[in-house]
Amino acid sequence: MRLHNKFFNLLTFIMALVPVAVLSVMAIFILYYSTPSIRYEGLSFFTTYLWNPGFEFKPPVSVNGVLAPAGSSFGLGLFLLGTLSTSLLAIVISFPISFLISLNVESYLPEKARKFTVSMIELFAGIPSVVYGLWGILVLEPVLFRYIEPWMSKNLGFIPGFRGEIYSGAGLIASGIILSFMIIPIITSVIVNSFETVPKDVKEGVFSLGATKWEVGRYLMTGYSRASTIGGTLLGLGRALGETMAVLMVSGAIVNTLPTSIYSATNTMAAAIASLLDSAFFDPTGMNIAALSELALVLMIISLAVNLLGRQIAGRGVLRGYEND
Amino acid sequence: MTDGIQEETVLIKWKGLGIRKIKDSMAKVVSYLILALMAGVLVSIFAYILGSGAAHATISMFTTFGDTTTGGLLNAIIGTWMLVGMGLLFSIPPGILGAIYIVNSKSNTRVSYIVKLFTDILTSVPSIVIGLFGYLVLVIKFGFGYSLVAGGIALGIMMLPYLLRIIEISFRNIPREQIENAYALGADDIKIASRVYLPQASKGILSGILLAVSIAAGETAQLIYTAGFNNALPTGFLKSQVAYLTYVVWTGINQPSQYSHYLAYVSAMILILTITALIFLSKYIVRRK
Repeated sequence: MRLHNKFFNLLTFIMALVPVAVLSVMAIFILYYSTPSIRYEGLSFFTTYLWNPGFEFKPPVSVNGVLAPAGSSFGLGLFLLGTLSTSLLAIVISFPISFLISLNVESYLPEKARKFTVSMIELFAGIPSVVYGLWGILVLEPVLFRYIEPWMSKNLGFIPGFRGEIYSGAGLIASGIILSFMIIPIITSVIVNSFETVPKDVKEGVFSLGATKWEVGRYLMTGYSRASTIGGTLLGLGRALGETMAVLMVSGAIVNTLPTSIYSATNTMAAAIASLLDSAFFDPTGMNIAALSELALVLMIISLAVNLLGRQIAGRGVLRGYEND
Repeated sequence: MTDGIQEETVLIKWKGLGIRKIKDSMAKVVSYLILALMAGVLVSIFAYILGSGAAHATISMFTTFGDTTTGGLLNAIIGTWMLVGMGLLFSIPPGILGAIYIVNSKSNTRVSYIVKLFTDILTSVPSIVIGLFGYLVLVIKFGFGYSLVAGGIALGIMMLPYLLRIIEISFRNIPREQIENAYALGADDIKIASRVYLPQASKGILSGILLAVSIAAGETAQLIYTAGFNNALPTGFLKSQVAYLTYVVWTGINQPSQYSHYLAYVSAMILILTITALIFLSKYIVRRK
């Protein structure tokens, strides 16, 4: 009997270590596979933006003790720029929307409609990213291309970067909008949850002093929930940084061409890994795969850092689409 | 709040509440407009995907195998469930037993802190990084090939942190006295786990599993380089590629033929219906008393 118990406890201990082991093994392997690229490119991986797979039919060259296809060069500049710009645009769009929805749910919406509204916003988190991509290609891109982007170029063209050739709806704006739909439920649920923690008597007290609902929302509840709001926004940012399929479908997935305006096609680190891995298989030296691994390593470090920071600030127990209660 | 409206308006003017009242009404109007806008977007997505899916769905799409340009989706539908099932197979045991360890550990809190920390971090690993890891390590290094096992493990890695955390939460909701009483009656850890934790938290566990399934069924990036694609059903667990629905959406829309687009629409419709149903079911189970 006691032996059984010991065995059971050992089993639960081993199973509890699975997440630790998986994450460690994953990090170690990604680092291991990216070492050839780290040795080949060194710092220029971070300072250049050209991603050139090289000539697979020419004899490979040896640089810094590793073999690489002749003429190959790998720089993450363009992808990093795309990841940061699409994610930041997503935050710029989704933060005010999430804040106003949370305020509406907390202050203006009738009690009965609240749960329904929160569930509706949560549905955004459940839509698969390829479905977002499909909708982006079929609905969002044509609308952007025909109406919104020409209007922006014409009327907002005085802002640097807002005037430019419009090739198609795909690019920064489409990616930012789609990403914002994906992260609005995350930010909203964190803000709504933290609004609920505002003590009722404090709220009533401020109301009785004559404050309007907007003032209570803007000054009191925001004050109480500042930390969770920032944390929730960082969690949303973390999700946006790593999003792959939807961005791959609506970003234009461009390589080696720097954007000239906000209407240009773009690409992100996650989308680049998904779209370039296919052709990387044909590199006999394996350098293309190593470079993509390094890209994955950098992406992993960035999104882990953002998420950890967000979790630290917002507090634990925030999961996509699941209320912690 | 006050009875005398006349009196209130006087007070409003007196305290300069006019401008503040206007601000408040503006915030109300704008926030309702934003809510309406988001509802509109959601309706647009659902209506477009469901509409174009329903318009092009045929019976044969649900009854025959296909290759994303011809035929049907049956192989992709079954393949999706096989992959999700494999994912559950790899993530449920560590999810439940790991959660039991976390709630049981009173003395070694440092270990359970590290487990929780790593679990949280694991949710934030981008799906394509899991996919790349799956390709490099499972498919190539371990020699699994594009297969159910490789794809299932890649999905399981993504599902595990959700399962573990949700199951942990539902274990924590069990009244503490109940567990202490069971210990006082002489039950050991296995008995507590099988007679108290599992039955008491069964709804929470089921709801967590459904939620994890709903997330996994819509994933693509982990599977592109671990599951591949197959015109028929996989013939084994290893080295036999598997079809799945999200792949059909992704490749179908990029192919020139009209029929590929139709297959993509129908796949998207199936996905969105299945996933929404799973999410509602998962919520319904927890809410039901």
